[in-house]
Amino acid sequence: MRRRTALGLLAAPLIVRPATAQTASITYWHHFTSTTEFQGLEKVMALFTKRYPSIKLVQENIPNPEYMAKMTAATMANAKPNVAMVTAERVADLVAMGTLTDLSQRVKSWSRYTEYPAQAWSGCTVGGKIYGVPAFTFVDWMYYRKDWFDEAGLKAPTTMADFAAAAVKLTDPAKNRYGFGLRGGPGGYKFIIDLFEAWGSPIVVNGKPAIDRIKAAEALRFYTELLTKQKAVPASAPGDGFRQIMDGFKTGQTAMVWHHTGSFTEIAAALKPGTWATCPIPAGPAARVARMSYQFNGIANPAQADASWNWLGFWGEPDAGIAFLEETGYFPSNPIVAADPRITGNPLYAAAIETTKFGRLPQGFTGVAGWSDNVVQPEFQKALTGRSTPAQAVDAMIAGLEATL
Amino acid sequence: MGLGTLSERRGWVWFLLVPSLLLIAAVVLYPTFWGMSLSFREMRLNRPDLGTGFVGFKHYVALWNDPVFWLSLRNTLVWVVGATMGEFLLGLTTALLVDRGLPGFRAASVLILLPWFLPNVVAGHIWALMLDPRLGVINDILVRIGVLDSYFAWFANPDTALGAAMVVEIWHGFPFFALLLLAGLKAVPLELYESAEIDGAGPFARFRHVILPQLQMIIVATVVLRVISLVNAPDIILILTGGGPGRASQVLSLYAFLKVSKEFNFGYGSALAMVLFVGLMGFSYLYVRLSNVLKE
Repeated sequence: MRRRTALGLLAAPLIVRPATAQTASITYWHHFTSTTEFQGLEKVMALFTKRYPSIKLVQENIPNPEYMAKMTAATMANAKPNVAMVTAERVADLVAMGTLTDLSQRVKSWSRYTEYPAQAWSGCTVGGKIYGVPAFTFVDWMYYRKDWFDEAGLKAPTTMADFAAAAVKLTDPAKNRYGFGLRGGPGGYKFIIDLFEAWGSPIVVNGKPAIDRIKAAEALRFYTELLTKQKAVPASAPGDGFRQIMDGFKTGQTAMVWHHTGSFTEIAAALKPGTWATCPIPAGPAARVARMSYQFNGIANPAQADASWNWLGFWGEPDAGIAFLEETGYFPSNPIVAADPRITGNPLYAAAIETTKFGRLPQGFTGVAGWSDNVVQPEFQKALTGRSTPAQAVDAMIAGLEATL
Repeated sequence: MGLGTLSERRGWVWFLLVPSLLLIAAVVLYPTFWGMSLSFREMRLNRPDLGTGFVGFKHYVALWNDPVFWLSLRNTLVWVVGATMGEFLLGLTTALLVDRGLPGFRAASVLILLPWFLPNVVAGHIWALMLDPRLGVINDILVRIGVLDSYFAWFANPDTALGAAMVVEIWHGFPFFALLLLAGLKAVPLELYESAEIDGAGPFARFRHVILPQLQMIIVATVVLRVISLVNAPDIILILTGGGPGRASQVLSLYAFLKVSKEFNFGYGSALAMVLFVGLMGFSYLYVRLSNVLKE
């Protein structure tokens, strides 16, 4: 008896629940990679824990290239996380796989629902059901070397014709200087789809392939000739991915680079103020196309749905949005938050704010990720390396799209 | 009937084998047959409307008519033959040098294993940086000694991408051959060398008539193992080129991986995997048979 009492006393601190005991534990899968992204996530998590001390949030990083493979395996094995980060172009695939949970009811009764534009919700809506909550936005824009433009008497290009002319003028291979850091390697397909639309070709209409062969080939010819004919981009362009185009711009090899607001802090840390600036992506002959890529969070495993929903909604709070922006440069998805003076007061963000007025959602049909990676990307590279003509590459892309749909 | 009587019966042997057989069935046979069955079924995770029914040889017919399959098959042959030969020759040369027991070679025998210790992912990224068209030290050296006029984008050119990746693979994989061939060399009886010397055999004759026959079993085993590994693992290529540019370095295992991981097309991906499976089985059987290594 005495022994039992002694054991009970020893165990007491373990079984007595403290006032701040966590009653729910949720897992969050994401594909943040850079130091700034992690710092931003930690800040948001700290704010969340302060607001919801009873919820234990466990984050798990999965590298982006393996993200879908792991999500697929988790779905098949019924081992899904509570909450998963979902990029706009993956929503349709993940919904088709049965990975995401329908959040329509929760979203529509949420106090912040109407603060977001309809476009933000359409990016995570499939078959009329909402499967995510926007967390932040990547707004496409262009970084350029203002000092070089000033030296050459150039202004930031507003049309693709101006853009190509500037790229040619600023190219000087003797100085290892090129007008544009063209992304022909991983992820480069994105701009091909954008350019097709900028030249007036749709991609998919009513679930059917709708690429205009002639307009698309013209767009591809324009883009690939920056290397094959004008030599205004580094010779390494067919293999250059995000890291290479960023390094090229930061080390003074290239004068212009297309990316999104996500690389803002990296560029700002590498280049002196005043030597660089931002502007919206130039307009094509038919349209000015830049993407507003919302990053959503969705509930994958509906266990602990209430706690998961708190985490999803927290990203729409001003404090969370601004804290994340300050660390990463990533735009808040909630326009109310994006109107904060801390954002509108920075002239370098003006291009992003302007882009939000015409920015489009990425293509979101089922199979877009596979088609982009496995068809558009290699066919674009073939045209870029002279292994096929732009028209042949577009034909192959159309055939691939038909097979996908 | 007691346990003692039971153990005297012939069937007892089979009874004892049951746990092992069950384990083999669960770990080896089930996944293999499951993979085979997938290749005869529709299985696109993002297209549940297509169902998961039996489609016969549909994927194999599609594969036959798929130009990317044939291109990937050709690249696979080039990749495997080139890398295996390169690794073998470099490994054999290294093993022969280390076996001579020259001063400092004991330490060298440890150092040559370093590439093998590195995970493929790490080795791939190291070489991607060394061959980088902007910052790469190899480009810098080649320009300084006059081999190149300017930095060259090895992985961005369709003519050099596969070859450059092969160089990395050979560097990474040759210690496997070096280590095992060195072990084989150490096991060659000294009497054979002495007899050959008495018979007047020179270095080349010794190599041909003493060393090679003694190493034959190891050579066959290492080549089979390495070919299987090279055919099945696309990680170095995935890191260095992603199969590009324009599929110039795409191999079959990478194609299967992309079909499954990007398009979620498990049926077609499994058909590609089955082609690799059957091809490797055929190669291993023929290679071992033709090498006569099991004759004795």
